Amino acid sequence: MGITIRQATINDIQAMQNANLHNLPENYQLKYYMYHILSWPQASYVATTYDEIININDQEINLDEIEVTDAKGDVSYINKGEKIIGYVLGKMEDDPDAKDKIPHGHITSLSVMRTYRRMGIAEKLMRQSLYAMCECFNAKYVSLHVRKSNRAALHLYRDSLQFKIESIEKSYYQDGEDAYAMRLDLELDKLLSKSIEEEDDLETDLI
Amino acid sequence: MVVGKKGIPIISNKEDANFREALKLFDSKQYKKALKLIDLNLKKNSNHAESLALKGNLILNLPANGENKESDSLSYINKAIAKDSSNYLVDHLIGIYYRSKENYFEASKWLKLSLDNGSPNKAILRDLSFMQVHLRDYKSLKESRQIYLEHQPGYRANWTGLAIAQYLNNELTNSINTLSKIEDIITPHLNASDLYEHNECTLFKNKIYGELKDYSKALEVLEGDESKILDKLSYLEYRAKYLLMMDDKKSASKIYRALIKRNPDNVAYYNLLELSLDTINKPVETRVKLYEKLSNFYPKSDPPKFLPLTFIPSTNPIFETKVKEYLIPQLIKGVPALFVNVKPLYKNQSKSEIIEKVVLEFVDNELPNIQNPTVSVWTNYYLSQHYLYKKELIKAMEYINIAITHSPTLVELYIIKSRILKHENKIAEAMEVMNEGRELDLQDRFINSKATKYMLRNNCVNEAIDTISLFTKLDEGTINGCKDLHIMQVNWILIESGEAYNRLYSHYKLQLESQENDTDKEEIQELVEIYKGLSLKRFQSVLKNFEIFYADQYDFHSYCMRRGTPRDYIDLIKWEDKIHSTPVYIRALKGLTNLYFELYEEQKGTPPTDDDIQVKKINKKQKKAQVQANKKRQEFATRVESEKDDSDPFGINLINNLLSDDILTKLYELYKPLIVEGKDLLLTWESLFKIYLYQGKYVLALSAIKNFHKLLNNNGTTTTTTKHCKIISNMLIALSDTLNSDIDVNPAIKKVVEKGIISSYPDFEK
Ligand SMILES: CC(C)(COP(=O)(O)OP(=O)(O)OC[C@H]1O[C@@H](n2cnc3c(N)ncnc32)[C@H](O)[C@@H]1OP(=O)(O)O)[C@@H](O)C(=O)NCCC(=O)NCCS
Repeated sequence: MGITIRQATINDIQAMQNANLHNLPENYQLKYYMYHILSWPQASYVATTYDEIININDQEINLDEIEVTDAKGDVSYINKGEKIIGYVLGKMEDDPDAKDKIPHGHITSLSVMRTYRRMGIAEKLMRQSLYAMCECFNAKYVSLHVRKSNRAALHLYRDSLQFKIESIEKSYYQDGEDAYAMRLDLELDKLLSKSIEEEDDLETDLI
Repeated sequence: MVVGKKGIPIISNKEDANFREALKLFDSKQYKKALKLIDLNLKKNSNHAESLALKGNLILNLPANGENKESDSLSYINKAIAKDSSNYLVDHLIGIYYRSKENYFEASKWLKLSLDNGSPNKAILRDLSFMQVHLRDYKSLKESRQIYLEHQPGYRANWTGLAIAQYLNNELTNSINTLSKIEDIITPHLNASDLYEHNECTLFKNKIYGELKDYSKALEVLEGDESKILDKLSYLEYRAKYLLMMDDKKSASKIYRALIKRNPDNVAYYNLLELSLDTINKPVETRVKLYEKLSNFYPKSDPPKFLPLTFIPSTNPIFETKVKEYLIPQLIKGVPALFVNVKPLYKNQSKSEIIEKVVLEFVDNELPNIQNPTVSVWTNYYLSQHYLYKKELIKAMEYINIAITHSPTLVELYIIKSRILKHENKIAEAMEVMNEGRELDLQDRFINSKATKYMLRNNCVNEAIDTISLFTKLDEGTINGCKDLHIMQVNWILIESGEAYNRLYSHYKLQLESQENDTDKEEIQELVEIYKGLSLKRFQSVLKNFEIFYADQYDFHSYCMRRGTPRDYIDLIKWEDKIHSTPVYIRALKGLTNLYFELYEEQKGTPPTDDDIQVKKINKKQKKAQVQANKKRQEFATRVESEKDDSDPFGINLINNLLSDDILTKLYELYKPLIVEGKDLLLTWESLFKIYLYQGKYVLALSAIKNFHKLLNNNGTTTTTTKHCKIISNMLIALSDTLNSDIDVNPAIKKVVEKGIISSYPDFEK
């Protein structure tokens, strides 16, 4: 099924935690996901696959022939036929001791299951999250950390999304690896990728 | 916080002063100092109820002093109750005591009593309301919130709290009124930092209007509130929905277009757009045109390209054209997820045949002319998955091997090869290959997880834990990440471990039956016990995590009111109310259920036979062997401990406790929440049937069969598959057999059940 990118809800957090545990060494207990969703509900997004639509759309499939089963006991499934294959967990800076009082966002975690990588999912998740941070929370910029050796992520942040490297934080990670602290100034209009060919004017009839 | 009552002396002397001082110290967490004062009090007057109650709390909060901390503290609480349970300070302290123990049922009882006994401390109401919502006692919750709001109307959080309580009581209009009232009051006083909360509360109000189904009113209010709403996504989604419900489809369609423009990768918007454009029943060509247009607007998005493949019939020649347009560019680009993306189309066999034809034609006609060699790798990768899906394993293996020969360092290829081997039932080889893949990219946790999983599938639990430990936190003094995996709530590995241990348990149990030699037998017997215990223990640790997930909501009962996120808070409550039916929980429960039933059989059957093993004389050689064995056992224990200083690393005590308990009742307790939360799960009724049957509750057993059956019909299926027919008829046979052989059964009940079987299943032959 085509992948859907949508806002994360409380129903997704178990599977988000699962995706995080599959992809990254920086992990969090479920309550921290709750905290994100209940503090900045608009700032986190998930990528899901959704099978059921096929059954509905495809007239040639006989629903009677599909065997009734319980949802798969796979940790990435949140519902029958819907599983989470990527997520971005976003927040606003909420540390009262933070130096910078200008409202700004922070990416806590981002990952995509390996078998779904390199098709633009991470970039789309990021754009939606950043857009919401800007729109709902008036974030002026967003910051994040990334391992120096993480080529894929670095490419995504620096080249695809135009983040700038602010500084290097020595031994930022548990295993001693350095982090790049990166930052992107947010402007609502620039965040959504636009078609170069033709834009929907939202008026002209589609059919 | 406990506020001492001022100027109302109970025993107006030094004791009261000491007590008040101690209370202050307690509130500021200076427990040791507080205890000193209290002990002084009790020395003079051992009947001072408030001091007794406080002492109970202090013991509980102080670092463990000896074994009996729990019972010690409780004894002081009970003494305090005996002395003066009508003293509101005592009641309050007892409430606090139970709150610390997370026994919210008792805690709320005592807090309520404290108020009833005249406590002037209104803050108790807040605490009480958190407990009431935690216990889902919505009626009392509303009362507490109401009174507290009257006491503290100056905080928006208290208004939000009441509105939520009303909402949970299904008093939607009252809830709206509460929200509107504070909205009006507060609007002139808003700071920049309040705007987000204002936005959320406004949207909460609007959401409730929507739920009242008066859509034109909801729309009118929404549009009037537009300037307050920062969350434009919700604004648009609500608006579009109301318009659609009001049958103003044209306006709705424009908003869905705006939503797609914001996020062209959300399938739901496309479906709703079609609904509002009334295209679903239009000719396929019209729909295809629509999606072509959308695809032009959003060339980077998948849904407008993919969705037509779901509705174009395979018999229409456009299908093949569109499949080509979808697949070929992605094969050329080398999108690894291509197969998993189109896989759902394979449910329709004619479509899968066309797809096969298209790819094979591409291989024959175009591929030879393409310079870039990776295209052929990804194409072979695709075809391998294609044939794996079709269970043509030899072909699948051929294609993946060609790809690997060409690109031996591409991790993705090993994942598929490993899966093919798994399907060939070559579990050990599958594990090897997945591990080869892992070694190609040691930095990537995903492939590490896959390799770990395949090790577990091959019952190599130790290797698996060592492998995943490359990515877990290693605390000092630990040899692997097993404890960290528990702390980080890695449910997938707990479940897979539980299942692996369970297979090991069954394996050794079988071996035990065929074993002749006594010493070997002993050794194997020990393994049987250990693996059984470990399996139970891992499954239970998943259940424990769900207890934590449930407890996690507690802090949010107050946080969300202050933060002002009522909509998502309501989602939280609803989600918590069904966590026991989420897939992970169910899978762990399934594993546990089988174990419980086995233990039940064990308990019923042979009495313990350990005795003869223990009385046997041990010679020197055996002694040495035993020391060796103990050492090995100790080493093993350090590998599998689930927490620091685990007192029961192998779960042997868990098993023994169960065996000396009423297992069926214990199991029933686990299923109790599922009667509501999991009423749509086959597992619920299958297991409950068995429990009831063993318990001799035949009427309930029959109704479990009926519920099971109903599920099969509910899901849109009218014909029950033969597999399910068999399950049902087996259940009926078991029920009627048990009924007939049960000599103690009440004849009236027997008759009722027999009649019930006949009337519901007239075709069933006894
Ligand atoms: C980093 C990660 C999230 C990227 O996900 P993704 O969905 O594959 O990324 P996208 O497809 O959106 O790719 C975005 C860009 O990065 C590039 N990219 C992705 N993977 C890459 C790789 N391995 N090497 C080089 N570039 C890569 C893409 O080509 C694309 O660039 P483009 O816009 O020029 O075409 C994913 O690799 C991942 O989950 N990794 C493990 C977890 C992790 O490291 N998270 C980041 C922690 S800060």
